[in-house]
Amino acid sequence: MTLYHFGNCVALLMPYYFTYKYSGLSEYGAFWKCIQAGGIYIFTQLCKMLVLATFFYSDTSSTGNGEFNFFAEIFRCSVDIADLLGFALILSRIPGKGHSKLITAGLGWATAEVILSRGIMLWVGARGTEFSWIYILKCLESNVMLVQHISTATLIWLFTRHDLNKALKPLVSVLLAVTVFKGVWLEGLLHILTIGPWLTIAVKALVAAVIGFCTLHIYSGLAQQIGI
Amino acid sequence: MLRETDGGMSYFLLIAIPVLAFCLPVMASEFEVMSMSKFDVNGQNFGSRQSSISLEARSLYSWNTSRHCVLTRLINLSVNDFDKIRQNAGGLIIMLPSDIMKLDAEAKEHIAVLEQAMLTHTGAVPIYFAPYNINLEKIIDEITYTTIKASSQNQTSVAQLIMSVSANGYHATVGGTNKVANKNSKIPIIYGELLSNQLHLKANDNAVDAHKLPVILITATLKTFGVFNDYPVNADVTVLLALIEMFSKLHSTTNMAPNYRLIFMISDTGLLLNFQGSKKWLEIDDNSALQNVEFVLCLDTIIESLSSNPDMDMYMHVSKPPKEKTSISHFFKLLKSTAEKYNITVEGVHKKINLADSKLAWEHERFSIKRYPSFTLSSLKSHRSPSRTTIFKDDETRILTHTLIASRIVAEALASFMYKMEPTTSIFDGQFAIKEENVLPYFGIKSVLHNNDLKDAFEKYLNNVKIIYDKADSRDPDFMFYNENDVKLNVYRVKPAIFDIFLTILIGFYLLTVFFGIQYFPLFYDKVSRLTRDDTSVQTNGHYPERLKFK
Repeated sequence: MTLYHFGNCVALLMPYYFTYKYSGLSEYGAFWKCIQAGGIYIFTQLCKMLVLATFFYSDTSSTGNGEFNFFAEIFRCSVDIADLLGFALILSRIPGKGHSKLITAGLGWATAEVILSRGIMLWVGARGTEFSWIYILKCLESNVMLVQHISTATLIWLFTRHDLNKALKPLVSVLLAVTVFKGVWLEGLLHILTIGPWLTIAVKALVAAVIGFCTLHIYSGLAQQIGI
Repeated sequence: MLRETDGGMSYFLLIAIPVLAFCLPVMASEFEVMSMSKFDVNGQNFGSRQSSISLEARSLYSWNTSRHCVLTRLINLSVNDFDKIRQNAGGLIIMLPSDIMKLDAEAKEHIAVLEQAMLTHTGAVPIYFAPYNINLEKIIDEITYTTIKASSQNQTSVAQLIMSVSANGYHATVGGTNKVANKNSKIPIIYGELLSNQLHLKANDNAVDAHKLPVILITATLKTFGVFNDYPVNADVTVLLALIEMFSKLHSTTNMAPNYRLIFMISDTGLLLNFQGSKKWLEIDDNSALQNVEFVLCLDTIIESLSSNPDMDMYMHVSKPPKEKTSISHFFKLLKSTAEKYNITVEGVHKKINLADSKLAWEHERFSIKRYPSFTLSSLKSHRSPSRTTIFKDDETRILTHTLIASRIVAEALASFMYKMEPTTSIFDGQFAIKEENVLPYFGIKSVLHNNDLKDAFEKYLNNVKIIYDKADSRDPDFMFYNENDVKLNVYRVKPAIFDIFLTILIGFYLLTVFFGIQYFPLFYDKVSRLTRDDTSVQTNGHYPERLKFK
């Protein structure tokens, strides 16, 4: 709508900064590490694009109509497994200790995603003449995505640990699968329910919170066990 | 290895993703609009003078300054409103009805009157017409509804604040540069002569030179625009072409020698352009057609294209009452008795030429001024009728049937006159019958120059077909047209400034919540940890809570 509105939208992205500032990352000078994590995000996305463009039938026209194509979504989400590999890459390449390592990975990833996938849309759209709630909604959704990505990073880290309780291993795998295929089951469900955009965000936030809580639960157990 | 690809690829992405993002559909509602016609005649300006709008859209009932652009339906607009908007508002966008046919007689008349008012004034503000569009209708409904709600509720300041925050505003923009005067403005005029059967004339002993025969001139004007740039119904031209076709057939087969030459003339003018075409035609120097004129028959709005009256009338307009035994009075009688066969009455209307008027009322006045006996046939009684310049058309089947009847009446009356027969004898029967398929294609004619349609039709039946142009004088033009660009109307949903401030406050609260959430996350983590602790061995290392601050 105006530059002011754009400012409002950007203000909604402040939790990213809060996370960086108040989780202690700033004290560790983890800025460069976050940038590196973002770089790996870009690399992963590019690989995904190549795979999608090479092996999958382009269905951008059908998804543009707001239809929900179940099989196309499954295909797409199966490529999203590459995201997990990306996270694994970040966790293995970027040094860090304990909690900060996970937050660095999640925050770097999420920030790169926000800048690259939302940045231009906000700059062009939110400053444009037309008012639309979509920009505020997208920014709120980015906050949900931050929680989501940090829990995904934690789950990957847990998955790679050998000292994780064997009983918890299947649970971690299930949570990872749930996260990756969220595009299918959650979007499909929301599509079937046809609820409004605000409720959609709320449902997504709830799902992210539940996954996040489970992850935190498992993580805190392991963290105490290995004493970090 | 990774680092290298990483850097290069990210640059690529930084370029590719903005490109993708620009391809995202922008949410603006875009509508086709037609700008109001702009033209000058005799130094007078008509139509809207400006073209670009970027203003707040308001309804007909809520606008009050020149910073508002009025968005309304054609049927809701009154002539009074239009006059006010024309002078004080910032712009006017009128949505046309979805189907003119479905309107009642009153609404049709209202539209025609409004249209006439628009065509006789200069609009200082940009005026646009939008074809019916369901989305635009929703927007119009919304702006109308919110204003009604706002005016009806005189509630507390809190309620008004909430109202102003939740209200949707609309911002209308129409781009486009000002219309440029077309220096090459010209009016084409086409004319041709239907020669009588030469062979037959020569066979007769009393044959006179075909070029010496008296002339009957039949003219019609072709309307090429109306209140906006579209093609109006040109039933006059259709009737004229039907006459050409019929008389050409008649001349080539009949063994009766006609005692008249028929000359047909069509020009791209009409009432709006003050019959400039006929004026130019009369000024041609060696105009052999004007040597021996029996009478001039002008066709003007022989069929009303927008009418609430299902019946058909016919009027013969003259500048002075015809004397007994003149050819015009003879023709009038023939016409009357012919029309009676179709249960149609023909009335004569006499209106003196007012030379003080800037515009002539009828085309025949151009000829009457030059002292040619002339008259106009029209379905309208008054020269002030708004139907003459309307761009709208309602029932096409009615127009077609009436056109057929009109063609038959004029053709039969003319034939009776030329061959000196009783009007009761039916010439146009059998092979000469005027049928629907003869007439229908002629409705497609849009201009003299359009695809050479008219030229081909003239050349098929007539001789000495010529097209001349009335060009606007470069220094003191009689008329001037303006180039028109295709323009689009964008209507954006906007919120008032107070809404943004309101939103900022809400976001502030949200951020505060998130901030405290993150601040107190260690506590939460502690709680979760305690849950996980199956064993009671509580390890409270000194550094543990500090480390927790990371999370």
